[in-house]
Amino acid sequence: MTGRASSRSRRRSLLRTPSFWIAAAILAIVAFLAVFGSALAPQNPLAINAGALFQGPGAHHLLGTDYLGRDVLSRLMAGTRLSVLTALEAVVIGLVLGAIPGVATVFLGRWFDFAANRVADALMTLPYVFFAVAVTAALGNSLPHAMLPVGILLAPGFFRVTRAATLEHARAQYVEAAELLGASKLRVIRVHVLRKVLPNIAVTTASMTAAALLAVSFLTFLGIGVQPPAPTWGGILSSDLDYLSQAPWAPFIPGALIAITVGALNALADAFRDRSSAGTLMPVGQPDPSVESVDGDRQSQSVA
Amino acid sequence: MVIGNRNPLPDARSRSAEPAIRDGSLLRVDDLHVSVHDGAATAIRGISLNVTPGEIVGLVGESGSGKTLTCRAVLGVLPPGCAVERGSVSFAGVDLTNLSRRDWEQMHGSHIGAVFQDPASYLNPAITVGHQLTEVLRVKQRLGRRAAHARAAELFAAVGLRDPERVFHQIPAELSGGMLQRVMIAIAISCDPQLLVADEPTTALDVTIQAEVIELLLHLRDQRGLAVLFVSHDLAVITELCDRIVVFYAGEVVESGPAQQIAQHPRHPYTQALLRVASVGDFGRRELEVIPGQPPPVGADIQGCRFAERCPVAMPACSAGAVQPVPVSYRHDVRCLRARDLDNAGELVAR
Amino acid sequence: MTAADAVATLRGPAGATPLLAVESVDVVLGHGVRAAQVLSGVDLRIWPGELVGLVGETGSGKTTLARTVAGLVDPRRGRVVFDGLPISRLRRRARRAERRRGRIQLVFQDPLRSLDPDMTVADIVGEGLKIRGEANAGEIRRQVLDALDQVGLGAALLARTPGQISGGQRQRVSIARALAVGPRLLICDEPVSALDASTRNYILRLLDVLRNSLGLSIVIISHDLSSLSGIADRVVVLYHGRVVEDGPVDQVFAAPRHPYTALLLASAPSVRHDRRLAPAQLRRAPADPAPPAGDLDPAACVFAARCPFAADVCATAPALEPVDGRWSVACHRHSEWRQQAST
Repeated sequence: MTGRASSRSRRRSLLRTPSFWIAAAILAIVAFLAVFGSALAPQNPLAINAGALFQGPGAHHLLGTDYLGRDVLSRLMAGTRLSVLTALEAVVIGLVLGAIPGVATVFLGRWFDFAANRVADALMTLPYVFFAVAVTAALGNSLPHAMLPVGILLAPGFFRVTRAATLEHARAQYVEAAELLGASKLRVIRVHVLRKVLPNIAVTTASMTAAALLAVSFLTFLGIGVQPPAPTWGGILSSDLDYLSQAPWAPFIPGALIAITVGALNALADAFRDRSSAGTLMPVGQPDPSVESVDGDRQSQSVA
Repeated sequence: MVIGNRNPLPDARSRSAEPAIRDGSLLRVDDLHVSVHDGAATAIRGISLNVTPGEIVGLVGESGSGKTLTCRAVLGVLPPGCAVERGSVSFAGVDLTNLSRRDWEQMHGSHIGAVFQDPASYLNPAITVGHQLTEVLRVKQRLGRRAAHARAAELFAAVGLRDPERVFHQIPAELSGGMLQRVMIAIAISCDPQLLVADEPTTALDVTIQAEVIELLLHLRDQRGLAVLFVSHDLAVITELCDRIVVFYAGEVVESGPAQQIAQHPRHPYTQALLRVASVGDFGRRELEVIPGQPPPVGADIQGCRFAERCPVAMPACSAGAVQPVPVSYRHDVRCLRARDLDNAGELVAR
Repeated sequence: MTAADAVATLRGPAGATPLLAVESVDVVLGHGVRAAQVLSGVDLRIWPGELVGLVGETGSGKTTLARTVAGLVDPRRGRVVFDGLPISRLRRRARRAERRRGRIQLVFQDPLRSLDPDMTVADIVGEGLKIRGEANAGEIRRQVLDALDQVGLGAALLARTPGQISGGQRQRVSIARALAVGPRLLICDEPVSALDASTRNYILRLLDVLRNSLGLSIVIISHDLSSLSGIADRVVVLYHGRVVEDGPVDQVFAAPRHPYTALLLASAPSVRHDRRLAPAQLRRAPADPAPPAGDLDPAACVFAARCPFAADVCATAPALEPVDGRWSVACHRHSEWRQQAST
């Protein structure tokens, strides 16, 4: 009758799994490049060099050159900012438009909830590409303008997740206990609910950032929102595909960059989810048997 | 009463299909030591107990005292991370500590049945209780569909469910806690085991239903000769139901003996304390007693008697070395150096 | 005697006005087809300084009654009056203001669920004071320590979360939270069911001490009769949403007048079996003739379907009537059934 390794120790070591740290490292590099990329690029990403077209990876150009002789590495580094920051812009819009109503709807009554849910349903039916085309056509073709519709369409996802998490926590008995003490709804949210919903928001943010990054890449790939010759990952990928016969290796580089970053974001989201569910897994009715009595307990003295 | 095909006991190759009962005992636990947390702590130290056919034995103690772990060792379902370090558990002569999975499948149900505290979590919520019982009958006793249905209705009636045919077609959500526990008991005895292991089966039930379940277990014992290993933290329930009581404290057996004997002449200071805090049966105004202090953490390394630090009559010798159980009366053993010095109320008497 | 007269005879100490009056309360939970009447015509009085045991099994409505008194549930009929103020009729803002006064406090059954697992003991116990607006952090801390002291806990626990303390300590923190706001009525819903016998007795004794030292009225909801007998003054027995017996605990436990109370007492396990009637004598046998009323018949006595002594008269619901001083029973045959049981 032998036993297996205890599941408790397995849960605690999740944060120590290599995948979490690899993901964090990748994202740290990406974040660093987003801020300092254009400053640290070895060459001018916009410098056209007609004499050095389609060069493979070499000493002077570490990742080669593109169809205009521009250094690919520099373009990718400089493009990080545009791609990543605009993806973040979409995520922030989605977060604000989605998470705030998501929390509030639980406390604002049935009619508001009904209306909010129907709005979210409607938004989820819209395909973002066409929405982006429409908005950029109306407002002008720039990436911030393209990110606005993406952000709006990310909002229902935030709304749904935050609403579900808030509902679950708002029904807790300690919330009832706080209401019995006369707490206002705002206080209940601030003190009891918000901190428990944040892990869910964090997980959703990570996956939404991945989705937004893919959206940016796709939109710039299609030429929406891009102002040439500004480099973006998707834009680079697109032009590389145009010249596939001349430089078959070329699209893999920006493609890999997008895939790795998106993968790292999703891995981070998974790690958040696993860690938060391990932390909030309260075994109801089963106190921790390893807890010893505390000195604050005066039971042994006060009993005659 | 129809007796279904009972699977022969494993290891009974050259013997007959009837269980071999040595020393009159059906279940024998000998010096059992169980470690937890992958060997980090020893939760059970040297537990020995005996159940004879048709006997109802009660294991009583606080949570963490080791009574549930002992049950699980008997059933072969120790939680992950726990292992038997020393000692043995044997049923009708068959050693259970190293039984193969296949032999356990034969053992479960046909020889040892089990009921637990929360019946709803042991039943499939989507399937009718009747089908959950017939499934057992068809697999273990190879009954046909109609025969299984008839037998199931019989069993439901035998456990006191009114309108067994109706209950047959209900899912767990449609039944009350008491009815579900009866269903569990029906499933547990369906293949005529000789021993029923019951781990706090009445703790979650209303007091009126609890009384009915206790009467049911006594009835099953009288009718079928069913032996019961009954675990509870409630000493009152134990004395109502059991023939013998085994008192657990911090992983050891501190007192064991006939139930009435222990209820009227307890000899271990812990048992005496338990009796003081338990419901004594008169509902008059009385002082509510407490036992000062806390039990030691599971697996704590303590020299000598494990109750010594809370014991009102402890002396230095108690913590000097291991305390062995001594008999104080017929089949009544106490693990206490002062057992013979104390009267029923825990007061010291002159020798 | 009309219902109002019967209620008027639920007297307390001469001349005293009850602290809490539950007046003919009906409570329905759920909507539409799933609506269920959980309480029917419940009358209850609690006087200052009393410790009352509220006893009932699953489905009796005892938790709903506690929640109704606390204001978490609105009665469909009847009202709850506290210290002269009809609290069940208050609107949202007035209700919140009344809650902030903290005069009625509810101690929930499971402290693992009723204490926020992410908050420290200090924050939990002080929450009521913060909500009230006691601006001074030092004053709040002082009152928190005071409340913890009253339940036998010390400053060492202030920074711990509920998961880091034992079950008994958690329940005491829950009580301390209720005490911190200075209540006059404390309702404890099964405060000790999940605890071992020794801790259980400790906490019940603690409640008794608090009742005396703070002049509180306390209602303890329980299904365990014997632990109530040690500390309660009165016991109220609920069955399927109706009060069936209400009287001084010693008298009720010695010779209950309602067959259901007798069944409860007879069923309660005891170490020394010196009860006069066995549970089997208080249950219907399968061979008994059909009861005068079905289980769900609202016009009949609520216990008729299960009662071995039910007669035709039990097809009409009995009123809760006084039989002896402060002792009331809702049973047509309260003076006869015992003879029938003994034969």
